[in-house]
Amino acid sequence: MSLGDELRYLRAFRGGDNLREVEEQVGLQPGALRTMEQRYRRVGEDDEVLAKVAAFYDVPLERLQFHRERYRKALSAVLQQAKESGAVACFELRTGETLSGRVQWWDLGAFGLEPQGGGPLIVVQRHAILDWPTAGKLPTCPPSA
Amino acid sequence: MPEELRALRERKRLSLNQLASKSGISIATLLEYEKGEREIPPLDLRRLAKTLYVNEWDINPRSSPPPPAPRQERPAGPPPPRERRPPEGPPRERPPQEKQPPKVAPARDTQIAHLLTLAARFNVDRAALEAEIGKPLDQLTQKEARLWNGRFMHRIAEEQPPRQAIDRKRAYLPEGVDRFEVAYLQAQQEAAAPLHFTLFNGQAFEGTMVGFGPYHITIREPGGDEITLNKLAIAYYRRAGGEG
Repeated sequence: MSLGDELRYLRAFRGGDNLREVEEQVGLQPGALRTMEQRYRRVGEDDEVLAKVAAFYDVPLERLQFHRERYRKALSAVLQQAKESGAVACFELRTGETLSGRVQWWDLGAFGLEPQGGGPLIVVQRHAILDWPTAGKLPTCPPSA
Repeated sequence: MPEELRALRERKRLSLNQLASKSGISIATLLEYEKGEREIPPLDLRRLAKTLYVNEWDINPRSSPPPPAPRQERPAGPPPPRERRPPEGPPRERPPQEKQPPKVAPARDTQIAHLLTLAARFNVDRAALEAEIGKPLDQLTQKEARLWNGRFMHRIAEEQPPRQAIDRKRAYLPEGVDRFEVAYLQAQQEAAAPLHFTLFNGQAFEGTMVGFGPYHITIREPGGDEITLNKLAIAYYRRAGGEG
């Protein structure tokens, strides 16, 4: 899950405050939070800003830093690599589950995963992905998955 | 109180050109609307209201024609004679001009060079080219050179195989589209296939799809209840039971 998805998730859990309202309360420049929520590339370079946002949502800074490294473009690259190679890939979901299978397609909001053990195609929402191996490596499955 | 289109446009500080490009209505049509020559049909009224951020009933569909441009009042009677300046010195006599034949510009060196290059592609040398044209290249006019260059270009175009349509490939990251998920959802809706949804909090829902948008999916549960699921709350979904 990218930092943007995490921030949207946190905002939704707070009751869906207006972006501007949150920006004002956190003390951010207008549009700063919008950029963080919507950008596909890595955002949130400034830890000071990130700390303010973390304090506002009452979550540890490390949690936001964790998501900062899992930006959407990085997931896109992993999905494309998995699709091209046809290898079985594993994704850790926010629900605590791990899904494994072959990526059939992917786009803006979701990707189609053909489950490893057979069965109908699973459409996984990208914002549900909590983690995957980074640094250009395929999200290979552990032996137990 | 409905306002006239022109007044509304000016109040919103939009030029005709800007309004045309934003609304998708041509400038000529907008002008007709503003001059009251045509009544704005409901479809265009809706477009204009949307573009101008007003309600449809805020726009007067039939503008009144603009007042005629003010004319300078002239006293009745014949126009006053124009003052003539007295001629200074003796009147100049214009030398009688003889009609000269129009000047014909000779072909430029670059035109000749280009013509020779083009002809060479068809193995036509200078002598053969001059024979084909019917005069030496040095005597070609600019117009003739242009004409012959065009002929050779035309021959080249005819001999070349038709161009293939350019297959532009997107960058490999299609983040700008959601067509795959849309296609999947459409197929499931048409097939009236039951889908199984798992939400972030572990809740599960099952039902056939009634409709979907970028942020929501509405399903009808087996009991007949309709539920709209926010996509942000969905972790994943799949077809319930069978393949697909």
